[in-house]
Amino acid sequence: MNLILEKHALPDLLQSWRGNYDVYLPQKMERFSHFMPLTDNSVLVTHEPHNTRISPKALFLPMTEALVKFTRFGGYEDAQQVIQPRIIFAIRPCDAQAVQLLDTSFIQEAYTDPLWLERREKTITVGLGCHEPCQTGFCTTVGYGPFNKADLDVLLTDMGDAYLVETLSKAGEDCFQGLPCASDEFVEQALIVQRNAHDQMPVAFETENLKEKLEQNFNSDYWETVSQSCLGCGVCTFLCPTCFCFDIVDETQRRERVRNWDTCMFRTYSLEASGHNPRPSKVERTRQRLSHKFVYWLDQVNQIGCTGCGRCVRYCPVGLDIRAMLRQAQTLPFEVSHAG
Amino acid sequence: MPDLDAIKTEVRRLLADGVVEVVVAFKPGDTPLHPQPAFFHSPEEVDSLVHNGLCQNNLATFLTHLPKTKKVGMVVRGCENRSVNALIVEKQKSRENLYLLGVPCEGIIDWRKIVEHVGEAVLAVHENSDEVTVETREGQFNLSRNELLHASCLRCAHRNPISADILIGEPLPEGDPNLARVAVEEFESLTNEERYAWFQKEAERCIRCYACREACPMCYCTECFVDHIEPRWTESGATPAGMQGWHIVRAFHQTGRCTDCGACERACPMDIKMTYLTEKLNNDMRKKYAFEVGLDIQTQPPFATVTLDDKNRFSV
Ligand code: SF4
Ligand code: SF4
Ligand code: SF4
Ligand code: SF4
Ligand code: SF4
Repeated sequence: MNLILEKHALPDLLQSWRGNYDVYLPQKMERFSHFMPLTDNSVLVTHEPHNTRISPKALFLPMTEALVKFTRFGGYEDAQQVIQPRIIFAIRPCDAQAVQLLDTSFIQEAYTDPLWLERREKTITVGLGCHEPCQTGFCTTVGYGPFNKADLDVLLTDMGDAYLVETLSKAGEDCFQGLPCASDEFVEQALIVQRNAHDQMPVAFETENLKEKLEQNFNSDYWETVSQSCLGCGVCTFLCPTCFCFDIVDETQRRERVRNWDTCMFRTYSLEASGHNPRPSKVERTRQRLSHKFVYWLDQVNQIGCTGCGRCVRYCPVGLDIRAMLRQAQTLPFEVSHAG
Repeated sequence: MPDLDAIKTEVRRLLADGVVEVVVAFKPGDTPLHPQPAFFHSPEEVDSLVHNGLCQNNLATFLTHLPKTKKVGMVVRGCENRSVNALIVEKQKSRENLYLLGVPCEGIIDWRKIVEHVGEAVLAVHENSDEVTVETREGQFNLSRNELLHASCLRCAHRNPISADILIGEPLPEGDPNLARVAVEEFESLTNEERYAWFQKEAERCIRCYACREACPMCYCTECFVDHIEPRWTESGATPAGMQGWHIVRAFHQTGRCTDCGACERACPMDIKMTYLTEKLNNDMRKKYAFEVGLDIQTQPPFATVTLDDKNRFSV
């Protein structure tokens, strides 16, 4: 269904959801925007030329959460987290797409993460398309786009004084019921805005044969070259909406077993109890990060594990740019494999 | 502004004559806002070398990434030179294996401030001592350099490299050493409760990505206290206790070792202020021990010094 939402009516609408849902929306934190719960005084921030600094994956996989609480005499009980039904408002298409990609990891036949599943089932996502695509993002290059609808219950298009509201599910429709229908003309104009945004985004790198090139050059000097200035911090992966690695730690003083974000860029990530580290330097760690996204994700679910959100590009403290790294990878030699 | 051609000529000479095996400097990034640290191994590669106000890292951090015995050249500003000296004092490198090209420094521009003013679509940045001109798709913007500088650079007292093998460009007037004290006094003048609230607000945004640690030349421990499992020094997660523990202990490990280059703050993805803690400790070092780090390559920081005639017998 296509509806019109006048911007001046938005604050009341958001507040009206609070009775039944926890509502999360991007709000100002220091010099950036961050998904925080709606309060009486919340101000929605969408004017930034890009997405929030921390991706909304944190609402599904918190940085730290208790899984189990230990009781006396060696027993334990569930950490009993209370997860309320919620609406995530103004999630960008790249970030919604990322959550869908992560489902393939957390919801599997063999094992499903109950916390992930519960949060997924209790969440309604209202997406905000990017009519002015960000400079560092490259969603179109990896097969998505600034008005990508994957995993959204609703997609909004900013039309100046009003939003075009495209409802994409029953739950989404219920949230916006009572709004006037959009005229065909309005929808037509919105489609032009969407197309323009899409066309503005240059091809950041070629994806054809990229997987084969990375795979076949596993031992190439290329990895040394692109990792030289890397610091081995957690910025690119912690901010990345598709990175999902975690570490499980017993916090004995708190009597809790917690799960914390972890990353293959940390030197302790693959360190084994014996002291051996199969990824001993930033060369192997950088290779893991890029290969996971552009080789192993494809092996596993036939999709690139990067939605082109641009965060790693924008915030890497040494200016390492995954787009440039992959353009360079495209110059590597490779052979077409012949099956059989 | 530094003479880029003179820097390149000297770097080429060092590599051509085999004075060093590698020169650590900067090269352009994919956007003008993010030049990248770079490792130059041959004179031919040097064409791409850049050195400007947007080069935000302290290059001394890469010294401990390279083998100790490797002959390394490095383009250093005031703080980088002092960090290198501090690393020599801590025996992480010997002076013989180093060649320092000093460049007097007019301060580092905080790229986030540029984005706040003009957006992300930056095509080119030109700078002189007073002004930064940014070209974007929407047009040209002239911004005051001083307003864009990083806080550490605004209060920097040592902009000239103090022990470089060669200085490229004329020395600049040094900064006012009182400015560092003023920044600390602002924090000290708060009540206990206000200080704690400030500390909580900063520390508790932390995502424990450790970019601050990795960007810092003095954080070179192969096993950081936060990575210890047994004994565990602080909570592992992004909990208030864990984040506060990380921030306090990180700062204290820098006592008498931090040059206040501000590389930690510039690396932080959460815009967390950290130098108010390290500057407080630096100030204590200056006041109580008349010590400032990196001014020579012999003097141990006070907290790393043990003498038999110590007047304090570790009693409390
Ligand atoms: S953010 Fe940059 S420096 Fe940090 S691990 Fe990623 S690539 Fe390396
Ligand atoms: S790899 Fe970079 S651009 Fe791709 S989804 Fe992750 S943070 Fe975004
Ligand atoms: S890139 Fe690294 S941190 Fe991200 S999901 Fe893959 S292994 Fe984990
Ligand atoms: S701290 Fe001083 S020497 Fe270092 S970059 Fe800033 S102004 Fe330059
Ligand atoms: S860089 Fe910032 S967010 Fe990362 S660990 Fe340091 S203070 Fe925390």
